[in-house]
Amino acid sequence: MRISRRHSLKAAGAAATMLAAPGIVRAQGTLWSKLRGQTIVVNLPSHPHYAVAKQIIPEFTAATGIKVEIDEMQYLRLKDAQVLQMGKPKGDYDVIVYVIMWKTEYVQRKFLVELEPMFGNADLAMPDYDRGDIIKAYYEGLGLVGGPRGYLPGPGAKLYGIPYGAECSVLAYRKDLFAKHDLKPPVTYDDLIAAARTIKTREPGIGGLAQRAQAGHQVTAGWLIHLTPYDGQVIDDKFEPRVADPAAIKATEVYKELIDTGPAGGAAFDFGQMMNSFLQGQSAIYCDSISVFGPARNPASSKVVDTVGYTVHPKAVKHSGELGGFGMAIPRNSQRQEAAFAFIQWMTAKAQDVKVTAKGGQPTRLSTLDNADVRKIYPVDVYRECLKIANPDWRPIIAEWTEISEKVLGIGLSDVITGKAQIAPTMADAATKIRAILDRAGYYKSRG
Amino acid sequence: MQLSSLRLRRRLLPWMFALPAVATMAFGLLYPVAESFRLSFYELKLGEAVSPEAFRGLALFAEVLADSAARQSMLVTLHFAFVVVALEMVLGVGIALALEKPIRGMSAFRSIFVLPMMIAPICVGLIWRYMFDTNAGPINAWLEPFGVKPAWLADPGLAFLAICVTDIWQFTPFVFIMALAGLQGLDRSTLEAAHLDGVSGWQMIRHIKLPLIAPILAITILMRLIDALRGLEVVYAMTNGGPGLSTELFSLHIYKSAFVTQRMGHSAALSVCLLIATMVLSAALLAFANPIRRGR
Repeated sequence: MRISRRHSLKAAGAAATMLAAPGIVRAQGTLWSKLRGQTIVVNLPSHPHYAVAKQIIPEFTAATGIKVEIDEMQYLRLKDAQVLQMGKPKGDYDVIVYVIMWKTEYVQRKFLVELEPMFGNADLAMPDYDRGDIIKAYYEGLGLVGGPRGYLPGPGAKLYGIPYGAECSVLAYRKDLFAKHDLKPPVTYDDLIAAARTIKTREPGIGGLAQRAQAGHQVTAGWLIHLTPYDGQVIDDKFEPRVADPAAIKATEVYKELIDTGPAGGAAFDFGQMMNSFLQGQSAIYCDSISVFGPARNPASSKVVDTVGYTVHPKAVKHSGELGGFGMAIPRNSQRQEAAFAFIQWMTAKAQDVKVTAKGGQPTRLSTLDNADVRKIYPVDVYRECLKIANPDWRPIIAEWTEISEKVLGIGLSDVITGKAQIAPTMADAATKIRAILDRAGYYKSRG
Repeated sequence: MQLSSLRLRRRLLPWMFALPAVATMAFGLLYPVAESFRLSFYELKLGEAVSPEAFRGLALFAEVLADSAARQSMLVTLHFAFVVVALEMVLGVGIALALEKPIRGMSAFRSIFVLPMMIAPICVGLIWRYMFDTNAGPINAWLEPFGVKPAWLADPGLAFLAICVTDIWQFTPFVFIMALAGLQGLDRSTLEAAHLDGVSGWQMIRHIKLPLIAPILAITILMRLIDALRGLEVVYAMTNGGPGLSTELFSLHIYKSAFVTQRMGHSAALSVCLLIATMVLSAALLAFANPIRRGR
């Protein structure tokens, strides 16, 4: 049989693809080849990590033949669309990107497919996917649901999502301004507060710490940054509110102090405004998600490219950092679950993780942190330290969290930081309201 | 017998002509309202079907009435509606009176003047959020020479002022158009007669023009009031209701109940309360100045 030149070239191309992605080829030998030609719809957020991740999706289509349609929206709006879609008998979304705080609610409402059986399907799972390489805090924090308190790793926890765009917190600071005022990178909260005061008083037009503070979700997230370092918590193991405890009051006082010494208008910042305030040189310090790494080194988005230093989230009573960000999951009512699973695996596989991180995205895997190219551009050593203190119980990821966060804390804290309300009575009122929400949801029924 | 049958037919005929339109309206308007009433008796999450187990009777209304946040949001809404409608009426009618005479290039100016009304409210919210940005906004750039740098959206009072300014910017042109249409439709002979009687400019406005266009102004107030009570998108984009609840209009409160906490029954109960408040205010306004009654 004569083999044409064209066929030879095709075969060579296929071989090159195989060499580049051995896992895909082995899986393609069975089920993945049947998925060719399918189109999946991915609902994802407008976010620095996903802005980079989107760039490699055409490579997924080229490698697998699975086409991808993207439905992109502001990250807090994802839930509206997702709940509407996942509540239908047949949904339009095949992959959803969820924020960590929604995972328990989604599973309780039976919206998501459990992933363990899919990983157990040898025809579908990429043989060299290596789940053990995914950063453990992210894997457990974003992916597992059903364990202790409903959301922590442990007995009963099952896998419903894969972290992608997961985050812990880091402190970024302006090295030039710190050197100018003889300030050391903050190790403790006392250092942080002192540095913020110094910058506010000595650098006209520049604030200390940029924080999230817009009413609703953002102000709660900004406050949470300081809550667990002061050993505070929103609810305890018996689901009793703890926001009026001395630790939470102290954290609230610190939050307000840092708002007062922060950039002008900071009491209304959402996430984007907070990050821009730091990147545009209006604030000297940033203490929030590691998603700042990419934009901070991009001259198109940052005026402070060469002057940013990083250190671990400071210690107050203890070291405790954020654990948050995004994960990818498959809706139970998706009509193309296998293609969706292929997409999630491919995007979070080792090669793609390195590629996305090198372009400014957020790493999902430990091996990515070891990659020499990534180490050149990413503050990997600081990042590893941040991961060590990432707290899986940073906020209570119960189904009622959104209501507590946005309608109770999100209003009371906003009143506090704008000086409209006093801290102690506001937090006492918040505790009463949180208890009422949890009571309505049946958390105290068994106690009679 | 035949005569009475004919009379009956004549009486029914207009109703028969009106029936298709009335039936369509009833289905299109009343059905969603009725459904909203029905939902307000059930505790449902977004995406859940109505079931007997979810029935709560009037409990959700009791919760709404006892909710201090809902009451505060309603007060903010009423405050907002009265401030913006009053100022829009004064400005819109004033500008219409100033621009009613044919001046060269006036049609182009009128077209430009109504542009804000044509912009999608969510875009208006984003535009003004940028305008009021403390650090990058043009308003603070203009104020910089005076040594002031207000944190517009981070201060409860200023944030309320900001959303009022935005609404006035967007909807004053609507009042202007309505008032201008009324002024241009006035009977010229009445105005000329007043002029010949030596009526001054202010007297002409106060005693002739404004009373004559009062029915149109009443309708304009009613439409703007209903619109202001339902305001959502601009505030959503500008402040998300904050700081605290200082700019949380009732529609935003309903939106958050539906899409943040996903309590569809609760948000339906809130919607019913807003509907009742709007109806009461509209009825009060119509009782005070009903253009239809005046026309008769």
